[in-house]
This record gives sequence, structure tokens and C-alpha cells, in this order.
Amino acid sequence: MSLTDSAEVFGSIHETALNDMLHAFFSARPRYLRYGSQAFAPTTTVNETSISAIPFPGIPGGIDWQVTFQIPGVDLFKQSQALPAGLTLGPGQFSLHTTVELCVNCVQRRDDRGNTGTKDRRGHHLDQVTCTKLGVFGIGHIDSWNNSNGDGAVRLRVDTVELVDITPDALETVLECIIKMILDAVLSQIELPLKALRAGAFQLVVTNGPEIDDDRIKVFGNV
Amino acid sequence: MYLNSDALDSRALRYADCYGQRFMREGTFHYHVMPNGAQDVNLERPYTINVSQRKRSGKMTQHSVALQWKNHEFIPDNQKIDVEVGDLVVWNCSDRNAPPYEIAGEKEFFASARMLNECGFSHAFGVPGTYEWGDAHGSDVAGIVHVEELTCESRSDLSRWRAQLSKAALVMIADGAAKPTEVRIVVGQTVYFAIVTSKGMTITDKRLIGIGVVCPPKTSKPAAKRKKGRPAA
Amino acid sequence: MAEIIAAIDEGGASDLLSDAIAAMPPVASSGSGSLGPFTAGYSVQGHFTSGSVDLIAPSTVRIDHLHFDWHIDLSFQIDLDDFLPTFCIPQACVDIPCVGRVCTPRICLSWPTISVSVPLDDFAEASADFGINVSLAGGNWKVQIVVQNVSQLQFGLTTAAVLGLIAVAVTPILLLIPFIGPFIAIAVDAIIATIGIAGLTGFLGPIISPFISGLKIPVYDQPKHFKVLPASGPNDPDVFIELDSVSADVQHSNEDELVLSVDISP
Repeated sequence: MSLTDSAEVFGSIHETALNDMLHAFFSARPRYLRYGSQAFAPTTTVNETSISAIPFPGIPGGIDWQVTFQIPGVDLFKQSQALPAGLTLGPGQFSLHTTVELCVNCVQRRDDRGNTGTKDRRGHHLDQVTCTKLGVFGIGHIDSWNNSNGDGAVRLRVDTVELVDITPDALETVLECIIKMILDAVLSQIELPLKALRAGAFQLVVTNGPEIDDDRIKVFGNV
Repeated sequence: MYLNSDALDSRALRYADCYGQRFMREGTFHYHVMPNGAQDVNLERPYTINVSQRKRSGKMTQHSVALQWKNHEFIPDNQKIDVEVGDLVVWNCSDRNAPPYEIAGEKEFFASARMLNECGFSHAFGVPGTYEWGDAHGSDVAGIVHVEELTCESRSDLSRWRAQLSKAALVMIADGAAKPTEVRIVVGQTVYFAIVTSKGMTITDKRLIGIGVVCPPKTSKPAAKRKKGRPAA
Repeated sequence: MAEIIAAIDEGGASDLLSDAIAAMPPVASSGSGSLGPFTAGYSVQGHFTSGSVDLIAPSTVRIDHLHFDWHIDLSFQIDLDDFLPTFCIPQACVDIPCVGRVCTPRICLSWPTISVSVPLDDFAEASADFGINVSLAGGNWKVQIVVQNVSQLQFGLTTAAVLGLIAVAVTPILLLIPFIGPFIAIAVDAIIATIGIAGLTGFLGPIISPFISGLKIPVYDQPKHFKVLPASGPNDPDVFIELDSVSADVQHSNEDELVLSVDISP
């Protein structure tokens, strides 16, 4: 069977190259892996993205928190990496594995009524940082756009996340929901141009794809 | 290069031109053959025509002088000729590579650039067209030569044409007028302009009259002296 | 299997090469060569148009009807004495009244050397087999197809037609030469016969052939330090990957494809 099949042009990137590309992206722009509220990341830099603290009445300045991911490893269908029970990699899907570190700034309020000698510590200062690291597995699909000029891009969308060995189950479910939302938000910001996925070779106008198959993202088109 | 020129101008004789001069008095007449316009540059007159008393009665004799262009000089094949009163001497240089030239004698009557009396100029016309000629010295003598194109498609055409070439057309010039004023020939044929009397004239294509400056204008100032040590501009 | 694979089938390759060839600047050269007995100077320029592409595994790209439109300005000198015998204007006589018979001498003329400029426009077609050349030069990976074999050149105009154009160019120059008029047909025929068909093909072939035999068509040209994403603000710098290796070949399955394989690293 030919590579181009019924199209004129074929382009494909293997999962190892996709991971190289993700590695290159996150190495150049690590801020897409690290998000912190003001106590952790006062301003957005190339290394971290500043986000808002979680507001809550009675907590001055809100709850400072930080989310840090490791560069995710992606496995394109067919399955090459083991997945935890409950996750299955189907045709057209990718799986990913990463680690997320969640940190909160655990502030002790000192504004008791009789405690007039000590002012309440307002503002964003790291007080007692508490963190946890969780292994994350996920399943997702690719989302893409393209036009008749031959331009186009691909992004990874996360559909399901599985955290392992967290009890009770309800907590696991809550955390999975939060992590899935965050991870999807992170990855959906990254648009990899179709041109880059074929290393600049053979301009094409997409007729079919991009699609995941045989450990690759494939795209078909005409000159 | 002078290769393709077919200019009609008796001031500047070319390979298809002849200049003829009759000598009507006894004497020795010196002359030179030079690139045209050079008669006042080079005053040497190294060649000689000795004209003696006429011994025979009857028609004049024609003497032909063939010129060679060699080492930037025109050399007559016969540098000293003896003729009798009334004889005609005809000069021609058939070298296509030679520059236009003139015959310059010591005496006023003997000059191809200003033909006076009892002389002639012939031109074989190599290119078809209509040639209106006049006198570059300003007289009203003028005429027209129509040269017809000829295409030879067969050997007999060529033979016919060759025969035509042996017949020259004659234009007589006397008393300030040419006769006939118009002649019609085929390409390659010769017209002989016989000047019986004139005040000094040329046979010149009218398109060439007035072209070129012989002498610098009298009003022109001499070049300013350069200061010592200063390079020329 | 390579990390990144791009493939193009014959139809796509035809379009790709057609675009690549169309984007190539015109080629030109000048020099001199033997045009029959003449040494002719020339200035030639032209451009290519692609033909139909046939991909042949493992590494041949064949272009049939590779088309080269060219314009050449030829200039050469003709010594007409080589073609026409010396011509003599016979003695011509007139009878001048009261003077007698005056005759001009027989004037024999040599013929001049003329300069002829001939502009010619034509095309040449050939089938060419190209090999695939991959190189890393100046920090860029380049894949070019490079001519290896060229079939016999076929010129658009027949050689006779080109000779006819030369005749057309020569004629008005001859017309300016005095006394040649009645011999023009003889002169032109002699000149054209002297150049001859062999002379013309022997002249044009070596001029046009090098353009085709030296043809290199770019297929791929990308920096080794490949930019995946451009910078989009102070906190989002350029993203690069390294193209560690590039290879190209023609693969045959149920169709023939030109396949480019690339391995990368972050």
C-alpha cells in the first residue's frame, strides 16, 4: 500500500518525533508547564505563568497555589506504553503520561481579636508550602484546522485522566476532574503547525486527516 | 572601414570612381594622391604628368593610372606619364579597403575635389536607389540618377546584366547646367560626368552636402595655456 | 522507519517539480563556437518548463518532455570572398562629343567581410533521468534532483527552418553591399549551404546541452535548526528542533512515490 494512498502528498510524524517536538516546545517555553498564583509566580515569565489565587472569603488574597507538570510523554495509537486499568487506547487516540505537582501556600491566619500586637499577614508571601505529586495518565484525541493555502495545525485534547492509587474514589474523581481540565487547557494552547509535523517537506492542502494511526499522526493532501 | 560605402561624391573618390583630367597645355604638372581632404595638409606633389606638344592630329588619347593603397599611401602604377596636349588621364583605385581619396595637382585646374574644365568623374552605382546630386561648392548644377534594382534569376539574366554594365551613361556639364539632368540605369552601371566648363565643382550626393567641417570656425579662440605643473583636465 | 516521513506520488511530483522549475531563475551563458566554417559568438538565455514525471525506484526521477525555451543572439563574420568570386565591373565607355571615346578601366572588386547578427528563438526538448542528491550545506538540508542522463535533444524548429532564419538575417546585410544585388541569391545559398545542417546542430547542441545536463531542481530546502514555531511575545520565544538526518528515495508499492525521511531531536 502506498503512503499517499489516494492523495498526492502524505506527511506523518512518529510519536517519538512528536515527543521530541513537545520536548522542544516545553524546553523553550517552560511557562506552559508551570502555573502559579502571585505568591509562587508574581509575574508571567518564560519560565512560569502567573495565574490568580483561588479566592475565598476570609482568606486575604485568596489561596495561593501552583501547578507544575513534567513534560508529558505521548503514545499514539497503536499502544506502546502501559496504561492503568480503566484506560484503553483506541484507534485515533493518544495516551499521555506525566506527573503533576500541586502546591498550596498554607497560611495560618493571625488575626484573632485579642491578638492585637500581631498584624495579619496580608499579601502574597510563601508561608508553608505544601505539595503533592501525582502520576497522571490520560487519553485524548487530536484537534486540527487547515485551509486551502496549505496552512494548518494540530493540538492535543485530553478526554480522560486517570490518577492511580488515590482513595477514597470520590477524591480521586474530583482530582481527576481538576487535572483533566487543567491538562487539557495546557495542551490545547499548543498548536503544532502541520508544516512542522512534516519537517517542511512537500506543501499540501489537506484532503484527509490529520489522524492518528500506526504510532503516527498522518495527513493526506494534494499539492 | 570603407567596405560598404557607395557614396556619390567626387571629393572623396572610391573604388568604383574614376577621375579624368585632360591636359590642354604643354608643361609638367605635379600631383599627389591622398586621402580626401589632405591636399592642404601635405603639400608634396611627387608624381608627374609631362605634357608635350601634340604630334598627332585627331582624337585624344586616354591614359589610365591604376592606384594602389599600400602602407597608408596611394601609389600610382606609373608615377611619371608622358602625354600630349589634349590627352586624358584617368585615375582609379579599385581597392575596396582603401580610404576615400583625392587627386591634388599643383595647378588649380587639376584637382578632383574641385573639378574645373575638361575633366570628368565616373561612378559605378552599386546600390539601387535615387541619387540626387549637386555641387558641394555651391553652383546650381544638379541632377538625378535613378538606379534600378535587378534580380538575376538565371544565367542569361546575369549575361544580359553584364552586357549592360559595359554601357555607361553620360552627363555633360557645361555653362552651369547638366545635360541630361536625369539618367536611369540598372545597378552596377556607370555614369560618366563630363565637365566641359565650370567654376570649380563637385558631383556630390545632396545628402552629403554640408556635412563635415573642413576648417575650424574663425571665431574659435585658441586653447588656454595650461599652468605649469597642472595636469590637463 | 524514520520519525518524519513525507511522500509525494507521481502526479504530485509533476506539480511540485513544475513549480520548482518555474521558480528557477533564467539561465544564461555566452561564448563562441564553430558554426560550420565560422566562429560565432553567442549569448544565450533560457528557462525550463517541466514535463511529465516518472518516478523509478530506488532513486530515479525521469522527466519526459523537459522543455527548454531559449533565445540566442548569434554574431559571426562572413568573408564574402569565400563565397563569391571577384567581381569585375567591365570597362564602360562613353562617347563625348568633340572629345572622343572615354572609358573607365575594368574595376575588379573583392567582396567585404560582413558581420551578421542573428537572433533565434526556439525550444529544445529532452527526456532526462535525475538522481537524488541530499546535502547539508550552509546549515541547510537540501534535496535536489540532479540530471544524470539526457536523451537526444529535440529542437522545436527544424534545422532547415533555423537556417532559413539565418538566411533572413543575412539578406538585408548583403543588400547594403554595393554591386552584390544580382548575386544575393547565390551568396545566401552559398552561405547557408556552407553552414549546413551539421554545422548548425553541431553549434546549437553544445550550447544548449549544458543547461540541461547541469540542471538541478530543488525539492527540499530547510534549515537544520528548524523553526517549529515563531516567537509570539517576550515569554514565548522561538521553538526549534534539529533535523538530524534527511534522506530521500523513490519507493515502489502499488504506486511510485518520492519519499523524504527525516529524523529529529529537540
